[in-house]
Amino acid sequence: MEGLFDYAPAIALFPLAAFVIALAFGNYLPKKGAIPGIVATGGSLALSLAMLAAVAGGEEGYYHDTLYTWAAGDAASEVGPEGIEFTFGILIDPLAALMLVIVSLISFLVHVFSLGYMNDEGETGLPRYYAGLGLFTFSMLAFVYADNLLMAFMFFELVGLCSFLLIGFWFRTRSAPSAAKKAFLVTRFGDYFFLIGVIAIAATFGTLQFAGNDSFIAAAEAAIDGNEQLFGFGAETWVTITALLVLGGVVGKSAQFPLHTWLPDAMEGPTTVSALIHAATMVAAGVYLVARMFGYYALSPTALAIVAFVGGFTALFAATMGCVKDDVKQVLAYSTISQYGYMMLGLGVGGYVAGVFHLMNHAFFKALLFLGAGAVIILMHHEQNMWKMGGLKDKAPVTYWTFVAGALALAGIIPFSGFWSKDEILYDALIVGLEEPLILAAYAMGLVAVFFTGFYTFRMVFLTFHGKPRSEAAEDPHGVGWSIKLPLLTLGVLAVVAGIANLAPVYKLTGIELTFLESWLEGGLEGTTYVAYTELLGDVYDTGFIGTESTTVLIAAGLSLALAFSGAGVAWKLYNVPEPVRHTEKLGGAYDVLRSNYYQDEYQVWLAEGLTLPLARAADRFDQTVIDGTVDGVSTASLFGSDRVKRIQTGIVTNYAALLVTGFIVLLIVLGILGGWFV
Amino acid sequence: MAVFELPEWTALAPALILVATALLLFVFDSINPRTSNRSLLAGTSAIGSLTALGVAVWFMLAGVGTPSVDGGRGVVELFGGQFIVDQMALFFMVVVAVVTALVAVASYDYMEDHAYQAEYYSLVMLAATGMATMAAANSLVTIFIALELASLPSYALVSILKNNRGSVEAGLKYFLIGALSSAIFVYGVSLVYGATGHLQLDAIAENLEGAGEYGGLLGLGILMMIGGFAFKTASVPFHFWAPEAYEGAPAPISAFLSSASKAAGFVIAFRVFTTAFPIEATTAVIGIDWSLAFVILAIVTMTLGNFAAATQDNVKRMLAYSSIGHAGYALIGLAGLSADGGQLVMGAAMMHLLVYGFMNTGAFLFVALAEYWGVGRTFEDYNGLATQAPVACFALGIFMFSLAGIPPLGGFFSKYFLFVGAIEAGMLVVAAALVVNSALSLYYYARLVKAVWIEDPVADRGTLSQPTGLYAAIVFAAVLTVVALPVFGPIADAALDAAAVVIG
Repeated sequence: MEGLFDYAPAIALFPLAAFVIALAFGNYLPKKGAIPGIVATGGSLALSLAMLAAVAGGEEGYYHDTLYTWAAGDAASEVGPEGIEFTFGILIDPLAALMLVIVSLISFLVHVFSLGYMNDEGETGLPRYYAGLGLFTFSMLAFVYADNLLMAFMFFELVGLCSFLLIGFWFRTRSAPSAAKKAFLVTRFGDYFFLIGVIAIAATFGTLQFAGNDSFIAAAEAAIDGNEQLFGFGAETWVTITALLVLGGVVGKSAQFPLHTWLPDAMEGPTTVSALIHAATMVAAGVYLVARMFGYYALSPTALAIVAFVGGFTALFAATMGCVKDDVKQVLAYSTISQYGYMMLGLGVGGYVAGVFHLMNHAFFKALLFLGAGAVIILMHHEQNMWKMGGLKDKAPVTYWTFVAGALALAGIIPFSGFWSKDEILYDALIVGLEEPLILAAYAMGLVAVFFTGFYTFRMVFLTFHGKPRSEAAEDPHGVGWSIKLPLLTLGVLAVVAGIANLAPVYKLTGIELTFLESWLEGGLEGTTYVAYTELLGDVYDTGFIGTESTTVLIAAGLSLALAFSGAGVAWKLYNVPEPVRHTEKLGGAYDVLRSNYYQDEYQVWLAEGLTLPLARAADRFDQTVIDGTVDGVSTASLFGSDRVKRIQTGIVTNYAALLVTGFIVLLIVLGILGGWFV
Repeated sequence: MAVFELPEWTALAPALILVATALLLFVFDSINPRTSNRSLLAGTSAIGSLTALGVAVWFMLAGVGTPSVDGGRGVVELFGGQFIVDQMALFFMVVVAVVTALVAVASYDYMEDHAYQAEYYSLVMLAATGMATMAAANSLVTIFIALELASLPSYALVSILKNNRGSVEAGLKYFLIGALSSAIFVYGVSLVYGATGHLQLDAIAENLEGAGEYGGLLGLGILMMIGGFAFKTASVPFHFWAPEAYEGAPAPISAFLSSASKAAGFVIAFRVFTTAFPIEATTAVIGIDWSLAFVILAIVTMTLGNFAAATQDNVKRMLAYSSIGHAGYALIGLAGLSADGGQLVMGAAMMHLLVYGFMNTGAFLFVALAEYWGVGRTFEDYNGLATQAPVACFALGIFMFSLAGIPPLGGFFSKYFLFVGAIEAGMLVVAAALVVNSALSLYYYARLVKAVWIEDPVADRGTLSQPTGLYAAIVFAAVLTVVALPVFGPIADAALDAAAVVIG
């Protein structure tokens, strides 16, 4: 087993090689770089599965090794060790192994799907596309198994860069480059805080390791236990501050309110890229980071509560906007924001297993839905407006049935995968919420969002597949090949059955041990296990029940199911008719607000143009006048002074003797008076 | 380490080799006063100074002068403590020997048409002997004699171009100011002797308490001695001779005086103030910390030097003022001494003097080359030289940027250490002055680089020859300035060790 882990770096290096090959030789390869990409991600998938098995079967249950120390120095850290080292290292524990499998699987399927979506549709610039996918996968995989925060930050940034490149793939259109820029800038805004957080953590604890005895999490715990003062704050306050700074990056990448605005625009990229971004890479990176350093957040009740509240709010906020979109990809975009909100809510209330569980399930069903949407787009000859679709149910059965499986999972209908994880998140939120009013509010928002989720999901399904065809394209859809059907079927199966991984309600009601994921996450490095987190959380949150545990489980599950069904039912009632019509007028003023996405873009543009731009202009003016003026003034004064000083040298030696003696006497008088020689 | 033990007096070998070379040159001169065998004379001087250099380096490596505690062979005291050979002495002998060798090689071409070759080289060697002796002198008497031994040949060397009015006038001014300064210095020595009753430096330190009631007198004596050192190092207000002497003298001699002579002036200042006047004890007697005087001198000197250099039209004069500015930087080494250490800042000053020895000598040798070509004296006359002499002009670029303290050249590192040392010693004003002056200095150094590399020539000057000796010396100095970077670790260690020993 030991030997196998030596190949761990290859998991990320395979896609990197594919990136190089596609970039260098893509134009000469038969499928323009698709084959190396598929082989590389397939290799990564196989190796990741082997790692999963090794972690499961190994005695230690994890692999942690520092590969390369690229800088070391003395740190002026407040607490912690004297020297600091910046390293590249690999940490493969149960969480990372699971995520590696998810990422490489989705990436592999996306590569296969691209054969049908990009190659068969005759796109140009394919080597660039496959190079982008390769680099994207490489960055994400390296981010996942990073063993320290700085390395994670670097690959986090690389992930951001890749999303920029891929969202702007069709750079000749007007909208794609603009969307790419927006995605880059908005996430950069969050990453700015992340970077400060990294520096703050390094400066405070002198280490950036995620796990082990010399991790910053352990150091922070020790500092809190020791009631130390860090940078003038109590240890816990300081941990909260730094955790929230890091959260800035998470909010940007995982598209949480208020930095979610880039994500809907990012639909300008190819649909395959959207699938990759939403299911496994870019957006998942944020939530994964919170899970990775969950021990740190668990030290600060304030940070946790903020995570939970932001998550709950985002879940509801995005779900409402998803209800009025006409573009099938836009609906999915808002559903992504909403679903990551759930994950944040889950992690924030201490539901570590639930959050990770939902991350996994969401990866499967959201990749499925995006790829399904991609298939629909091919069927519809590149039409994305749902009002021009309809009736595709019978013409594309594979696409339809897999899409419905994904939709049921997204809506949280029992027994599809999404139900189990979402229910667990809401259950965890509820039991904490019964003791903490703020969390109860977050729970309530998450619960209401279930209704909207059911509604927009089935509105999308009915408009797309049911009723009569509403355009020529819908009457005569384009066929799809095996490269499209295969990924859909794979993911469709996973969307249905992935829930088995952790049937927590079943365990709580019947006592049958079906909580595989929970036991899986209990393993790993000391301090980063679910057991350790549970212990930490014991100090943070009290939990309560309505009646007994069983009744609480039933009430929580019943409530969310009822809401999901009623949401779906309303959609069924309104849109599952041969000739569906818009019902948006009935919303009145609310429609405009929803349609404009709560004016989020407008206020952010105003912030940029109305506030930042004048400030920048003022700074520029200050620079041009005061700074430049001072510099010019200094040089003028210096040259003038130089001219004067030069004249001391008269060329007459008696003057020199006089000046010399005068200078000496002045010095003598100064020192003599100070030294008291003349007294 | 060595298989055999040399007698103790051989510790002075570098100085002795230099004086032997001078005497050998006298022999040549007396046999054939009108000899024009330049290769023989310049070669003898160069070999003599290189031998002295080799011996000094060998001694350093062999651990002569390194305290036995650190695994060395112990500090050598000679003639009842009149001379001392420790790491600092050897370090400065190395500086003097390197510069002397460069000057000797460069003079081969520069003094081509001079009538009395042998006297020129023997004077250079005698002055070098005086400077090497200054490095080892450990009593006010030997210090004064060594000082005069270095000064008197220097006066003659400055005015050696007997048919050149500027040279003669400069020599006379140098001599007059030198006489005045020597008088002040000797007066200071006598006051110190009067107050403490001793001339040997360690003995002075031991008898400081006895000076009790004569505190003011002792203070005045110390101040007057500072005047003597300020003269030798061309520090304000004893700097007036420097611009004229450097401008009037043959350019290799300007290089010699501004590098080696200055370094020698600093070594005795370092030794006298660290050995004879330890801060705590001296402050108790004279009522004031003498490092204050050096703080004032350092700031005034670097400011005046750099400001006066900024708008000069004459390149040699610009370099003369820049040399005054650098004396100000090196003075930080003394200004930063304090009761609880200061070896970093003093070590930094020693490093700076070594690197300065290369880059400043190189810069003056480039002026020598320009004078050899006869292109003129002002910045404008230098315009566009790079197209005709790219190698020499590249070397000039290195010297200028190193003098300005641009990384990664040697001058940057020594200045950086001075800066750090000044901050550690808590002299924020001095550190700020260092930064401001360095920034200003970049202006006039870059002006010269711009002139040779970017500007177009004003007039056609025909083809320029490539004198071997001058070119070799310039290229060698440039290489040393650059190589100072990779070997800076050992240099820094050597300087810091040396500083640590004298501060003790």
